[in-house]
Order: sequence, then structure tokens, then C-alpha cells
Amino acid sequence: MYRIVPYILLFVATMLLQIFLFDNLVISIYFNPLIYIAFILLLPLELSHISLLGLGLMTGLAMDSVMGSSGLNTLATLPVAFLRPWLVGLFCNREDAREGGVPSQSRFGTHKFVKYLILGVVLHHGLFFALESLSWAYAWHTLLRVTLSSAASVFFIWLIARIFTAKFSTRV
Amino acid sequence: MHKLIEFIRSTYVFVLFVVLEALAINNYAHGTHYTQARLLSRSNRVVGGLHGMMAGVRHYLLLGSENRELLDYVAQLTERLAEYEDAVSEPTLETVVDEEQKLKYRVMHASVVSNTINRAENLIVLNRGRLDGVTEEMTLLSPEGAMVGYVVDCTDRYSVAVSVLNTSFRVSGKLKDTEYFGSVYWDGTDPHVVTLDELSKYADPQPGQEVVTTGFSRFFPGVKIGVIESSVMNETRTFYTVKVRLEAHISRLSDVLLVEKRDLYEIRDLMDGVREGKSNWN
Repeated sequence: MYRIVPYILLFVATMLLQIFLFDNLVISIYFNPLIYIAFILLLPLELSHISLLGLGLMTGLAMDSVMGSSGLNTLATLPVAFLRPWLVGLFCNREDAREGGVPSQSRFGTHKFVKYLILGVVLHHGLFFALESLSWAYAWHTLLRVTLSSAASVFFIWLIARIFTAKFSTRV
Repeated sequence: MHKLIEFIRSTYVFVLFVVLEALAINNYAHGTHYTQARLLSRSNRVVGGLHGMMAGVRHYLLLGSENRELLDYVAQLTERLAEYEDAVSEPTLETVVDEEQKLKYRVMHASVVSNTINRAENLIVLNRGRLDGVTEEMTLLSPEGAMVGYVVDCTDRYSVAVSVLNTSFRVSGKLKDTEYFGSVYWDGTDPHVVTLDELSKYADPQPGQEVVTTGFSRFFPGVKIGVIESSVMNETRTFYTVKVRLEAHISRLSDVLLVEKRDLYEIRDLMDGVREGKSNWN
């Protein structure tokens, strides 16, 4: 296992940003970026499926306990962790993925990397907000929340990814 | 047997995923605002200190405007006090205050440590807990005296309250100076507006009219909730659904008043006693 320390730092940093910055940014009820999903999206490509799931569970549980939402974060994070190999497969061929490394702009190409982030974030936010409202009465309202919050999250996760990968070379 | 093991080996991640997801769904489905508050107050033991520090910084930045608000409030209170001093005669005062221990309400203040408005189930964390005398079901008022929420759980140093901006929050409210009442709740959309539902069709709500709490629930009577913004009669013309603009600015709440209704427990004990009595007769 390599680069354990940077990933621990990434985990702690995304958690702290989420809890103390984004959860306290009271701008509008439509603006609620959940940037902690960056940790799952930026995990190394060669990581085994089971470790992905384990880390997804850990992230979800940690967020649930600090946000006081029983199970909601776990519920939204697990599918992203589970589907990540497939997500990566959409934007990067298998041979390339097996070589490992951090998903990044230079690795995927800017366009593909942003698409990868959008897909991951929308999946997570869609599940989160849909399950939070649990009703069709405010479907438009929920859709607006998903759209705005996802847009903000993608932007911030992109920044985090740039800062995180700035220190690493392109391949491993 | 060998094939079975192979099969499990090839799909165990998927199975594990399904199991974990099912557990999470189960947990979420059974979670109420009460369990959420408990969870939050437990995790506050760990992150409460940091939250407090951040709240301190925010507090410091807001000191100026807070001071002005407080001064305004002090001025109002002084004015009212002067009125009372003029008008109130001793016997009426005695019935309210009787002795110090018999004060009906106990009031204290607390600072907001963390607060959200962008979820469906919003909770407020306060920097006072059981050691400071906070108990469950204390009422939260904004510094101006408007309804904010009530305490659901406390640890030694922190307490967690359900905000009025929580979709599971319910309180009975009535039009001021009338006896028409309905139930007040938040629909999870606009953080400045709550709904007063099932208001009698004879009530004739007008925009600008004040809505206050009734004494039926844990809030003492006459706490201001907000003013009426608009109202519609339902299809069967049996009751009004009224939109009420909240008096308290939940999004920029940094201090709150905590009020304990001393009679509450007494009334509850009495009611429990009656219920038990009934079941005994059967």
C-alpha cells in the first residue's frame, strides 16, 4: 500500500471542509454541496472492489454521525463506491485502469475527467436529495436542489482534485 | 460445493453491497428526528469543541449587529416594564409570581453552535447541556421572543434541538386575539415560510395578521410564530391553509432563549396518572 498518508489527509480535509464550511454555508436551501464524495471519486484506480466498498461505508458512516442523519449518507455513498469501477471503465480502458494511479485531469484528459466527476456527483446527490425528500410532491424542487448542489460540488471537487494531484506525477 | 464457493467468490462484493445498502435503508427508514438528534448529540462529544470554536469566530464577526438588536430589545423591555410598574397592582403580581420557586417559566440563554436550513430535517446544536440546567422539551425562542424550536436531547455540555424548519416539527398555532387554531408545520421548501393548516373556515385570516402558539403543546401560549402572508380555502371549503412568514430569522440565529415550562411535567404526570387509572378500571 502506497500513499496512505496523502489519502488520510484527503479524507480528513474533505470531512472538515464538509462539516465546517459547506454545512455552515447557509446561502439557500437549493445550495447544499456534499463534497466529501471527492474522497471516493479520487481513490486509486487499482484499488480492489471490496476496499472501495469498505471505504465507502466508512465515509458514509462518518458523515452520518457528524451530520446526524441516520443512514442517509451511507445510503448515497455506497452505490457510488460500488459503481466506481464501472464509472472509471466508461472513461478509461481496462488496461489503462489496471496500471493504477489517481483519477485526475492529466490521466483522463480534462473533458473525460469532468464527465467522470459529474456522473459520480450526480449519482450521489440524486440519491441523497431524492431520499431526503421522499415524496413526488416536490419533484421539481428536489431536481433543482440536485442540479445546483451538484454543479457546485463538481466545481469544488475539481479544485480539490487539482490540489491533491498537483504533487503527484501523472502515472503512479 | 466447489462451484458454490466459486460463485460466492465472484459475487461477494455485490452481495455485500446489497446487504450494506439494505442495512442503511433500514436504518434510514426507522430513523426519526429523535434518533437523528441523539446521533448528533453523541458525535458532538467529539466535534463539539471544534464546532464551538467556529461558532465563536462567527459570533465575534456578528457582535455589532447583535449588540444593536439587544439594545433594541432592552429598550422594548424597559418600556414594557415601565408600563407594568405603572399599571400592575400587587395582588395580580402575587398570583403570577407567588414565590420565587413557583415561577411558571424558567428562562436562560444559549449560543447556537451549529445550525442548518438546507436539509429536510434541520437540527440546532446549542452550547449548553444538562450541567447548565437544560432539559428535554425546553422551548427555544429567538432573542426577539419568536418561536424557534424545542430541545430533544442533551449531553452534559451540549444540547440538540429540533428547529421549526424540520419537516417532522408540529405545533398548534392560532390567530392572535381569536380562538381559531390549526397545526403549524414546515413543508421543506422556503426557509422563511411555514404552513398553518386546518384553520377553521370561520377564521377569516387576513395578510399581516399575527399567528401565535396555543397552550396545547409544549410552547406557552402567545409566543409569536409569524405573520400571515397568504391563505387559501381547501377544495371542500372546510378549512384554510395559510402561509405564515416566520418571525425568527433561523438562518442567522446566533443566540437563543431557552424556556422551561415548569408546569409541563406536572401536567404530564397528571395525564399519565389518569391514563393509568383508566386502564386499571377496565
